[in-house]
Amino acid sequence: MHSWCGEMFLLTVLSASIIAGSLCGISGVLIARLRLSTLVFAIAHAALFGAAIGLFLNIDPLYTAMMLAILSSVIIGPLSDATGVPSDTLAMVMFSTYNALTFIFIFLSPGPTLAAEKVGGILWGSILAVTRTYLAVLAILAYLYALVLALLWNRFQSILFDRRLAEAEGVNTRLYVYLLTILSGVAISVSLKIVGGFLVFSLLYIPAACGFTAENIKRMILLSALIGGTSGSAGVILSFILNLPVGACIVVTATVIFIAVSIYAYIKRKQKTVF
Amino acid sequence: MVLDPAVELRNVTTIYSGENRPAIRNISLEINAGDYVLVTGPNGSGKTTLLETILGILKPVSGIVKVFGHDMVRSPYKARMMCSYLPQDFMKKPDEPFKVREIVAMGLASKRALGRLSRDDWKRVDEVLKLLGIDKLSDRPIGRLSGGQQQKVFLARALSRDPKLLLLDEPFSSLDDDSRRFVADLLYKLNRKGMTIVLVSHAPPKIAGLTMRVRLVDGCIAGVERCSS
Repeated sequence: MHSWCGEMFLLTVLSASIIAGSLCGISGVLIARLRLSTLVFAIAHAALFGAAIGLFLNIDPLYTAMMLAILSSVIIGPLSDATGVPSDTLAMVMFSTYNALTFIFIFLSPGPTLAAEKVGGILWGSILAVTRTYLAVLAILAYLYALVLALLWNRFQSILFDRRLAEAEGVNTRLYVYLLTILSGVAISVSLKIVGGFLVFSLLYIPAACGFTAENIKRMILLSALIGGTSGSAGVILSFILNLPVGACIVVTATVIFIAVSIYAYIKRKQKTVF
Repeated sequence: MVLDPAVELRNVTTIYSGENRPAIRNISLEINAGDYVLVTGPNGSGKTTLLETILGILKPVSGIVKVFGHDMVRSPYKARMMCSYLPQDFMKKPDEPFKVREIVAMGLASKRALGRLSRDDWKRVDEVLKLLGIDKLSDRPIGRLSGGQQQKVFLARALSRDPKLLLLDEPFSSLDDDSRRFVADLLYKLNRKGMTIVLVSHAPPKIAGLTMRVRLVDGCIAGVERCSS
């Protein structure tokens, strides 16, 4: 019975890590192509702040993280337009503010201050936080993410290629970029539980860096999703075997894959140059 | 019934953010549907700014900009659907992952609901590629093409949309002599079929069929000349 429960739990965690890793991998490519890294950096910290609010209010940090991430995705653009401050600079202001607020809310949350399990849960991830409800939420969000991308792919593709030209041709690029930013914010929020706030960027950018070795945009996204998912699942297994923090194991696995992919891409490039 | 002009600019001034000096100043210009306009002027005279102000990509600080009767500051998207734009800074990096056929299709996709293309749309894409003699490059990544080939890809993208108003920024800049003559001839034919064309060039080749020449100097209109056919 215990073994069956253990297997079910491992399966749930593995499925969750594959989905979260893939979502982050897809988002990483889109964010990097649109040069939104700073913006998404701030949104990730908004999610972290949201998770801290969740701890403070004693409610599931997943939902408060998602709310704050979406709210930030929506307000940064208009706030930048209204103040005239470039969105990158504004994002850095918000990033530091969110960081400060995160620490304040962790400090104020019930229970012993900076208790390892509560702080660890949001800062460096925990597989113990992965439940079947969480997996269900993750699966629904992944489905919605894939649906939006598939339905609007031609629009997104045009913006990813040349945003200014797409705008000149009548595509409301701001609307679509907001949508992508919100989707990325949601992907980050749901990944926080497993990877943690400190390491979530690694799961965004390391698979994306591997993806950029592919030759067309669809393959880039698929490769990045695949490597994100593989890093997630392999990292979880490593964490089980070595009894180490899961977020760190996922990121180390992703880095190893990145090194392997880079070496492969280098050899391939060299061969092309020779022949 | 009086038709709206294709382009109407009234006392338009545009300033780039962070600059004090206007890039174009107090411009008033009316371009009728079916016109073929050449905008000339030295570097920095405001030619590209004029095109991008017409499209509403740059917002003027004062004045009114209308395209086919649509205010380009308040509601630019409907009018942009009727326009095509060939930018001056079109060159892409060698690692650009998009392929020629995909890029041309993007132009047409922006006119379709949810960007979905039909079989006829893809046929149109292939026709335009063939028209410009770049059909053999369909599956090549754009970054691996020469400047002239890339410029033709962007022109194909602009033409695939079958626009009512075609805005071209230095469309001959990377083309060889034969290609220049071919493109000039093609533009002449498209204009004869009713397409309004605004072409910016600081050193244009011989262009047949122009209906208007506009000369910009230092952000202002230095002269407008109506040409007789």
